[in-house]
Amino acid sequence: MTAASLVFVIDDDPSVRSSLKFLLSTVGLQVDSSESANGFLHKKRPDVPSCLVLDIRLPGLSGIDFQRELAARNICIPIVFLTGHGDIPMSVRAIKAGAVEFLTKPFRDQDLLDAVHVALDRDRARRKQESELADIRQRFDSLSSREQEVISMVVGGMLNKQIAAELGTAESTVKVQRSRAMEKMQAESLAHLIKMMQKLQLPSEKAS
Amino acid sequence: MSESTTLQNDVSLESSVPEGGASLESILCTEELQRRPSRPPDHEKENRALVKLVSALADSPSTIFHTLAETIEDITQCDSAGLSLLTRDGKTPHVDGQRFYWPAICGMWNPHVGGGTPRNFGPCGDVLDQNRTLLFTHFERRYPYLMPVSPAAEECLLVPFYVNGKAVGTIWGIMHSDRRKFDAEDDRVMASLGKFASSAYQAWMHIEELKVEVAEREMAEAEVRELAKGLEAKIRRLVEANAVGIMMFNLDGAITEANAAFLHMVQFDHDDLASGRVRWADLTPTEWRARDERALIEIKATGAVQPYEKEYFRKDGIRVPVMVGGALFEGTPSAGVAFVLDLTEQKRAQEKLEDARRALHATQAELARVTRLTTMGELGASIAHEVNQPLTAVTNNSSACLRLLANGNLDPEVLRQALEEIVADATRASAVISRIRAFIKKAPTEMYELDINNVIREVLALADHELQNNQVSLECHLSETLPHVRADRVQMQQVLLNLIMNAAEAMTGTQPRTLSLDSGTDESGNVLVAVRDSGTGFGSEVDRLFTPFFTTKGNGMGMGLPISRSLIESHGGRLWATANSPQGAVFSFTLPASGESHS
Repeated sequence: MTAASLVFVIDDDPSVRSSLKFLLSTVGLQVDSSESANGFLHKKRPDVPSCLVLDIRLPGLSGIDFQRELAARNICIPIVFLTGHGDIPMSVRAIKAGAVEFLTKPFRDQDLLDAVHVALDRDRARRKQESELADIRQRFDSLSSREQEVISMVVGGMLNKQIAAELGTAESTVKVQRSRAMEKMQAESLAHLIKMMQKLQLPSEKAS
Repeated sequence: MSESTTLQNDVSLESSVPEGGASLESILCTEELQRRPSRPPDHEKENRALVKLVSALADSPSTIFHTLAETIEDITQCDSAGLSLLTRDGKTPHVDGQRFYWPAICGMWNPHVGGGTPRNFGPCGDVLDQNRTLLFTHFERRYPYLMPVSPAAEECLLVPFYVNGKAVGTIWGIMHSDRRKFDAEDDRVMASLGKFASSAYQAWMHIEELKVEVAEREMAEAEVRELAKGLEAKIRRLVEANAVGIMMFNLDGAITEANAAFLHMVQFDHDDLASGRVRWADLTPTEWRARDERALIEIKATGAVQPYEKEYFRKDGIRVPVMVGGALFEGTPSAGVAFVLDLTEQKRAQEKLEDARRALHATQAELARVTRLTTMGELGASIAHEVNQPLTAVTNNSSACLRLLANGNLDPEVLRQALEEIVADATRASAVISRIRAFIKKAPTEMYELDINNVIREVLALADHELQNNQVSLECHLSETLPHVRADRVQMQQVLLNLIMNAAEAMTGTQPRTLSLDSGTDESGNVLVAVRDSGTGFGSEVDRLFTPFFTTKGNGMGMGLPISRSLIESHGGRLWATANSPQGAVFSFTLPASGESHS
């Protein structure tokens, strides 16, 4: 497991908080605990894979409301819910809204650790996806506007000749621009380029 | 008489008026009454007036004071006549009042109705202090606050009257000129009217007390308010509908004259009356004779009898509750007039009021019971939370220690700290549990002889709504010849409600949904109750059903069955589960039959 990950725990009961911290620490996880939803919101969250272990019965805001609140604030963090009282309709709602797991207190330690690892993996994957996307965007932005035009047409399935005709330039010029763009995008093949462009979800020029 | 009587209605009641100029002696001339030439008594007029007063007392007690004032004015031919009553608030009579007010005045002083005088410095107070009739002349010379009350009183004859031995007021007549002077005959007649005033006062107070009583009940019991209003209305209607009987009687037991209301009350007719068959002595049931004797003694001694409650036989032998009061005629002391109030309606209304009160109490008890029944359910969530919190901490800490131990990585200091926390949380969990136990124990067990069938019916009534919601059809086979059991009704209700609710829940989503409740006896003579459902049954879980915190329900506490079983066992019975055929579960319990045999 990567050490650089963080588990946030929110539970109003100090014993439960400290025991969770202890349990999670035995598998090398770093824990940051709060006693309320507000306490969590006011914290600075470091830029590492993280997840939230959340008691559904919170003072003030309910866990489910808090889940909705996080979504509204565009905070993407996987949630493992804990509950003192198994309530099936509530757990269904939580899972539907994206919760990783819904554990009834007291739970088996392995169940919690598994859930936390799933949550962290999910966050890691999300982060990886996001940083890849940011990379691709950065590379795309480094292209000249003519290069962007050219590869958009390439991805759209046009031949160099067609592109040259479309842009009113020599085919050799298109060839040079195309290979420079491929290099800047770090594309290993045309297929790779198409995949990256799809992630950017740019509208591609269609062959006429 | 020269001035017009346009003065303010209320004469100052200031009791700290300084002593006026004239002495009390100088404004009194009572002794003159005996020296003045006296007119002959007019017994006929007096008797007529008395009958009229008694009728008024029966028909409209609320205006009886006014009628009395009119009678005084009529008989003594005075210019103003009225009553003064002790009061506290200036408008209702009160025996411990510190001033007098004038509830009724006839004649020239009529505009001053509602006014009054201080208790300790005024003519009425003087009369009560001296406890006899007094004749005043120009009393405003001593009591300056009477100065503006016009026209001035040339002479005022004041007579005290008493209720239960306590002076409560005076009646009085006033001459505003010297056209006629009061004489000994006025003195005698006023004394006679004074006795009547006492009855009038009591009748009036009786009505007032009823009103007050009704008002108090209204305040105390919102639920019976409508009924209490009905009672008041009934009394008013009773009085207004001339439902009051009047009869002339003589002391040897005969009724010489009676109105239709009285005859109707006792179901006789005028022919019966004319034949002399209707005798009050014969109408009176034996156990009321002694009360009548006392009334006779009273009437012979005082000329009147205070209203009292008794019963009469009707012609058909049925008893009618009544209130009777009366007075002897002046001049013919063996005969008199009585009013008779039919209390049947009033008694019935009172009974209804009692019924309503009982119903109210029953409802409150029911409410308390339902609250107790549901408290367990409400406790469920909170118990789960409060117990689960420390248990979670204990589990987490122990698991963490085990993990570190398995890694050979457990620092003794870390272990010590974890163990301390484990001990603290375990203690906390057990404290929660003993709090809950104390709470449950708070409801004391009340053991009574019960027909378990009644308990089943009560619980079905409670669960009815839930069963209908779940579209459960109900079959009851309750044995008619069931011995009683000695048990706590509420606990039995808890057990039954729990079993019925479990059954209803077990049938959600299954077909058919039939709940059947059977009662009977087992081979040892114990009472046996079985709750059958056609639900999902319990398969291999049957062994764990009665284990605390075991539940198959999404939101169950797993406490219902263990608690039910311990309740039944504490009553000396057994509770067990078997499979139903073709599907579902049967929960049965027994309770030992009590010594009392079945009905």
